[in-house]
Amino acid sequence: MDDYLIGVLSNIGVISFIALSAYVLLLTGEISFGQQAFFAIGAYASGIATALWHWPLGAGLAWGGAVAAAAAALLGVPTLRLHGLYFAVATLAFAEMVRLLFELFHYQVLINGELVGPNGAEGFRNIRYIFDNNIGSTEFLVLVYVLLSATLLGFSLLERSRLGVIFRMTGEDDVLAELSGVAVARYKVLAAGIAGALAGIGGGLYAHLTTYVEPRIFDVMLGVHSLAYGLIGGLGTALGPLVGVLIDIGVLESTRWFAGYRMVVFGGLVAVLLIVRPRGLFDEAAVRNISRAWRRISSPKRRLSQTQRKAP
Amino acid sequence: MRLASSLGCIAAALMTTGVVSSDAAGPRVKADVSCRPAAEKLQYDCAIKLTDARTSETVTGAELTVGADMPSMPMAHNVRPAKATATTEPGTYHARIQLEMHGDWVLRLDLAGHIRDRVVKSLRFEDDLVIDARKPGRPSPPHKH
Repeated sequence: MDDYLIGVLSNIGVISFIALSAYVLLLTGEISFGQQAFFAIGAYASGIATALWHWPLGAGLAWGGAVAAAAAALLGVPTLRLHGLYFAVATLAFAEMVRLLFELFHYQVLINGELVGPNGAEGFRNIRYIFDNNIGSTEFLVLVYVLLSATLLGFSLLERSRLGVIFRMTGEDDVLAELSGVAVARYKVLAAGIAGALAGIGGGLYAHLTTYVEPRIFDVMLGVHSLAYGLIGGLGTALGPLVGVLIDIGVLESTRWFAGYRMVVFGGLVAVLLIVRPRGLFDEAAVRNISRAWRRISSPKRRLSQTQRKAP
Repeated sequence: MRLASSLGCIAAALMTTGVVSSDAAGPRVKADVSCRPAAEKLQYDCAIKLTDARTSETVTGAELTVGADMPSMPMAHNVRPAKATATTEPGTYHARIQLEMHGDWVLRLDLAGHIRDRVVKSLRFEDDLVIDARKPGRPSPPHKH
């Protein structure tokens, strides 16, 4: 496969994690401009684990996800009592705080005669796990998509579970959910933790894919994009944010149709969709219609196979 | 319950991914990069000198590609990697890259072949010059009396 295509597909896979992270919070009715903070925490934590502590990649990624989840849940305790604009501003402020803290964060270790580790504003270079362990770009791409598929499977089960119903119920009307006996605050903290873990795993993959990170990567633009992917693709299914990522990186950027005007087109697309389809292309109604249509198509076949089975 | 067991499976899969630890240090390459604007807008010619980081010997015969990413919008600007060609000077390569806009870019130098490595360099690409992105500000113009 062409290196460029592998690069684009890897980017689509990695950025999908932060898009899904924002989607979890959107499900519970919260708009976060701060998921890039957990992406950063995951990137730094897993980079430190593999580059400085010599952990295996899987453990490093899990560590990045766990640290980001803990940070998100801790942030969730005081902030998820806020709503709407106040919550959005609080998450944005936290993300900027994290970015600035990483500009001050120095933790370097001498490895093979070279200082390796986070070095303030200069960032964290030489996260060389894939090179030191001879993992090819195609193998890493497969790893990204295996993890993404596992995440989507998790979402599919979540949507069918009581937890998924509670998340959507809270997102629709948290007062009504509270009156129905749902411990809204507790579930919102749980959602924040899951969202943090997803962003953290994405950050870990990003750090190992690019081999370097620096604080300015994790500025507000990344947060805005992660949120916009869900709003473009739709909130009816976890595939929605992935559609958003595909439209932005897979079509607008990679095809070069819009060259330097991509951001203008992207911004315009978000604005138009928010007016025309406020819950994205694949909103709940669209997903319901697609499911019904799919059942209609597949049911005659199913009925036919059942009849054939019954026939002697 | 099903959700918990699925999450457990995902966690187990994560923990066992890449069970080899990163103790084995691969070859390390050091790169000196200097770029200057080419004739076309947003095109830059880069001269890259590769040396072995441990022995300081020049690295010849490498398959080198040069990619670029914008730190302010990671993963969103997929600049098509340019293949570098070896020049007559040993260990020195030339690549022409096409960027999307001026500003700070991180160049990714990917080596394949007998040495597999990646070196990253932060550079600020402006209309008329290219400077190290980690040293803020344009160099002062030559002093005239």
